[in-house]
Parts: sequence; structure tokens; C-alpha cells
Amino acid sequence: MPRVAPLLLVLAYSAPAFAAGDSATPWWIWPIALFAVSFIIGIVAVLAGVGGGVLFVPIVGSFFPFHLDFVRGVGLLFALSGTLAAGPVLLRTGMANLRLVMPLALAGSIASMTGAVVGLSVATDLLQIALGATVIAIAFMIWAMKAADFGVVESDALGELLRLRGEFEDPAAGMRIDWRTRRTAAGLAAFAAIGFFGGVFGLGAGFANVPALNLLMAAPMKVAVGSSGLIISIINSSAAWVYIHRGALLPLLAVPSILGVMLGSRIGARLLSVTPAPVVRRLVIAVMLLAGARALLRGLGIWT
Amino acid sequence: MDVKPHDEHIQRLYARWLDAATKTGFAASLCAFLLYVSGALPPYVAPERLPELWGLSVGRFLEQTGAPTGWRWVALMDHGDYLSLAAVALFGLITPVCYLRIAAPLLRHGERLQAALVIAQTVVLAAAVSGLFAGG
Repeated sequence: MPRVAPLLLVLAYSAPAFAAGDSATPWWIWPIALFAVSFIIGIVAVLAGVGGGVLFVPIVGSFFPFHLDFVRGVGLLFALSGTLAAGPVLLRTGMANLRLVMPLALAGSIASMTGAVVGLSVATDLLQIALGATVIAIAFMIWAMKAADFGVVESDALGELLRLRGEFEDPAAGMRIDWRTRRTAAGLAAFAAIGFFGGVFGLGAGFANVPALNLLMAAPMKVAVGSSGLIISIINSSAAWVYIHRGALLPLLAVPSILGVMLGSRIGARLLSVTPAPVVRRLVIAVMLLAGARALLRGLGIWT
Repeated sequence: MDVKPHDEHIQRLYARWLDAATKTGFAASLCAFLLYVSGALPPYVAPERLPELWGLSVGRFLEQTGAPTGWRWVALMDHGDYLSLAAVALFGLITPVCYLRIAAPLLRHGERLQAALVIAQTVVLAAAVSGLFAGG
């Protein structure tokens, strides 16, 4: 599965070779290219617990001839449709837990819309630098922490009230895993902060959801990854309407991307249950470093 | 582990509705898109013209094409591109629909706190759908 990442980069880098900004390229080439890139990102995104917008926006924004306004709009719908498509499989296998998702998504979506309003009045470059530095720092933090699965921890009072617990069958480990979460108030605050900054930065911020669920709340890595996807689908449902109302969605770009990611993410959701947790963890780190570096370089004006 | 049977029932109910709604959105998007790119439905902006427009910012794109903002696009659904947009917009409605579906079962099982979370989230999503936060 990690071999998909280089393939993704090859595809992305090959895009400008056949046409970036080349007016001789027929228009229909672009929807086909978007479908192919979206399909591969869809597989990787589910395994990494991100919406995929964090990969889609930098890759398509850099290597396709579309204005970033439209790429952002499609990126958001891309993350939304991919996580919606993966949701049923994640819920049925217990990798995503609705009881865990509901309070965190509510905190995140309220804060996300507040963040979007704030983000309109702050310098974009400064925001990009802050985002890139934060994401890279979190990636190194996960890398440094060897033990990401905490076993069954003791619930706090709020966690007990919300009954944030569950169980799932892990075919990769060959066992049934019971779990509880801890530090519920801190988790809610973290998701409000992630939602706020996600709204400010215009991202689903799935790359921050996973460490918040896993490192802070002690959800098993696979539950963190699966539930992160479902949280993105809920938070992005509200953000998607901002782009629709602003006329920032081009169907010619949006539909092939959505169809591609939906097919890819269904495959990713099935692979998640049989992919060993360390592989998923490495993929999360790789995605975060890639996204963080991209945001940092864009903010510094090096890679715009 | 104290996981109540209705937890799994409600999670599976949500998954079932999510699955059906997502597949409907997928099929609707595919059909609308084929009508659009095949020319079966006339486009508001022709696909052949888009390569000279998609490099512009949204503001300039709207200026050049006269494309609508807010809910005004609904009146253009007889065009292939706006029918496709309507199909894509369905994805933004899936979560509120699934949330509303599990509200009654949660209440029936005495899960008042979870039901309150569901209703609060639906209100937030409804505000977003209405365009309250679109800022134009």
C-alpha cells in the first residue's frame, strides 16, 4: 500500500508534461486526468484518515491549470464525497464510531464556520506558514511516539456520560479490541480548535483529527483514522455550502473528481481493516509532512 | 465492554442510510454529468469555453459568464452544468438527512443527550445550507 504514494506523485508530476496551461489540449483531457488522480488519492486518504483535500488541493492546484479558487471548492467537495463514500464500510466494521464522532463533529463544525469568517480577515501567507509549521510539528510528534495504541484506558466523567467506548474486530491483528477514550473535555476543546483553524485555513484538517483522537483521547489508531473520516464528512457538509453559494464550484472539475474519489475511497475503506496499524501510522506521518511542507512553502512564497 | 445493543443498531441504521444516499448522489452526479458533457442538455457555459475561464478567480469568472451566486442557480437547472451542480449539492445534504433519520430511534432508546447532539448538529447544518454563513 505505501507504494501508492510514489505512484500518486508520478501521476501528479506527469500532468503538466502533457498539458499545463496548453490551450491545444482538448478540454475533455482534464476531467479524465482529474478522475485518475482522484481515484488514487481516494485510496490513500482513507488509509491516512484524512479527507484527501489536503492532498488534492496542493497536487491539482500546482499541476493543473485551474485557479486555486475552484481547486479549493472542488477539494472540499472531494473530501466530503470521499469520506461519505467510505463511511458505511467504516461504520459497519466498527472502525468509525458514531457515538464518538457526534460530540466532536458538533464542536468542530461550529468552530469551523467561526474560523471561516475569521480567516477572511487574516493575511493568507501568515496563515499558511502557521499551518505548515503546526502540521510538520505534529507529524514529528507522532513519529517520535512509538506507542500509539494505549489499550483500554480509564474513562473520565464526561466520557462516561457520553459513553465513548466501543469494540471492533481487527483482522490485521487477528483479535477483537475493546476501547474507551479519556480526556473528553480536552478532546472537545481540541476538535473546536482544529475546526476553528481548519475553517481559517480552508481545510478539513483530518491530519489533526487523527492525533487528537489517538494521542490525546487514546482511541486505537484504526478507530481514530476511521472516525476522523466520518468527522470530516460532517464538518465539510456545512463548509461545502459556502462554496456552492459563492459560485466557486465548476461541475466539469467537481464531478469527475467526486466520482474518482468515491470509487477510490471505497477500496481504501476495505484495505483499512486488513492493513497493519504501523503501516497506517507511517502513511499518516507521510501525508502530514507532505501537506505541512506544501503549506509552509506556499506561505513563504517558495512554492505558490 | 458495556456497549449497548441499540448502539450497533443505530450505527448500522446510519450506515445504511449513508450508503443509500451516497450511491444516489453518485448515480445522480454521473447521469447529470453525462447529460452535460454529451450536450444532451444545453450548458450555461460550454465546456469548450472553460479552458479560457477556469484560470480566472471566482470573481472574474462570475463577471465574464454572468453565472449566479446564492440560490439563484436553481433556476438554471435546465442547463447541463447546473443540473450537475444540483447533483453535487446533494452530497451537502446527506449528513443532515442521516442525522434526522437516527434522531427518533435515539429518543426511543432514551438517549436524550445523543438526540440533543443530533438536533444541534442538524440546526448547524441547516444554517449552512440556507446560506447564512456564505457571506455572499
